[in-house]
Amino acid sequence: MALEIDYIAHNNNLKDVESKIKIAISGLLLLVALIANIPIVSILIFFIAAIFLLAIAKIPVRFYLKFISIPLSFAVITTVFMIFFFGTGTILWDTGIWGVVVREDALNLGITTFLRVMACFSALGILSMTTPVNEILHFSAKLKIPKVFLEIAMLMYTTIFIFLDQFEAMSNAQKTRLGYNGLKNTYRSLGLLMSNLFFKSLDKGEKLQNSLDSRCYSGEFPVYKK
Amino acid sequence: MHIMEGFLPLEWCIVWFALSIPVVLYGILRIKKITEEVPESKSLLAVSGAFMFILSSLKIPSVTGSCSHPTGNGLGAVIFGPAVAAVLATIVLLFQAILLAHGGLTTLGANIFSMGIIGPLVAWIAYKSITKAGLGSVIAIFFAAFLGDLLTYVTTAIQLSLAFPIPTFGDALFKFLVIFAYTQLPLAIAEGLLTVVIWNGLKSLKPRLLEKLKVINPKYENLAETENIPKPN
Repeated sequence: MALEIDYIAHNNNLKDVESKIKIAISGLLLLVALIANIPIVSILIFFIAAIFLLAIAKIPVRFYLKFISIPLSFAVITTVFMIFFFGTGTILWDTGIWGVVVREDALNLGITTFLRVMACFSALGILSMTTPVNEILHFSAKLKIPKVFLEIAMLMYTTIFIFLDQFEAMSNAQKTRLGYNGLKNTYRSLGLLMSNLFFKSLDKGEKLQNSLDSRCYSGEFPVYKK
Repeated sequence: MHIMEGFLPLEWCIVWFALSIPVVLYGILRIKKITEEVPESKSLLAVSGAFMFILSSLKIPSVTGSCSHPTGNGLGAVIFGPAVAAVLATIVLLFQAILLAHGGLTTLGANIFSMGIIGPLVAWIAYKSITKAGLGSVIAIFFAAFLGDLLTYVTTAIQLSLAFPIPTFGDALFKFLVIFAYTQLPLAIAEGLLTVVIWNGLKSLKPRLLEKLKVINPKYENLAETENIPKPN
């Protein structure tokens, strides 16, 4: 399934802990990493988050590694770019190719940014791997975020999964008919897929509204708490 | 091209949030007005947002051999207008951060500004001005998606070079733009082409609906006389 993270968020060791606490921990770590902006603090937060997720929330190690590798590749590329092309300080190492040099301030900036990205990303991971989206939205209602915004977000969240199923079924049907053979066919198939999905979405929207109306929807999905 | 969680320093996170929130609030006011007049439109907006989410997680093949994710905002802006598209893009970006780990919560403001405000606005202006000039909607939708995509990347480049102005802002901007030009220009063209194919599908299957949403002007289009899908009334 495409959204494995959603399954993890509903099935981890901390799923019954109140969402307020999980959101607070994640937000606190995120802010500390951002405000402090010191490599040692970033490293500390990265390890706190790793221990929290693996030991307390019992997230599968394989999934944790997959999650952390998403920012890793991007962060490494940007950091290398920063280290080699930025900076005005003293030259630490001259590569000798086209005057590309490593400067002291660029190296510092690159390392600080890299560690900050990893720390913030782990803090975000705490939120997204332990707290389901509907609980996050339910919590946001207390932060005076407009109700209509959250309503649409909630309806959107439920609809995404219906679409993912339809998307999979339709693209499988296209694949069995060699729909993705060559660049031209790929574009044609993707276009057909998305335009059909759009009409399906309009139909679905109508049906969704009818079913909500018939169940006395007043703009709120109550969340059951133990 | 989302800006990663934690990539921007604190002061820039705050600046971009301060710039985006008023626009999103304006969009929410618009949506409130629309949903009070037509209550059914709430679910329509929600499914359109979900459609944008699916569209943005789609992989399209591009010239450079890499795959890219379209922003999908061009289409949303053309159909629903830039203010509503900004709100939908905000929710989409929030879900992308939480469910797909694209972008992030602290950089949400900056991402909303580039992908939810500048991109849709440019796409909408491009679409409106080209259709006003009397050219067909197919050309207009291509340029809307292409320019919307391109300006999104330019905005991202400006945001990044403002956050890392080393040695100067102009120098950093030049470096970011050169890198983006190599990687993102083909992707913007790819998204333009894909949007045209989707658009042709929409136009041939349900032209009357697009007319009702005031998206296409029947004067300049040769539309099919009957809808392929029967209308309910």
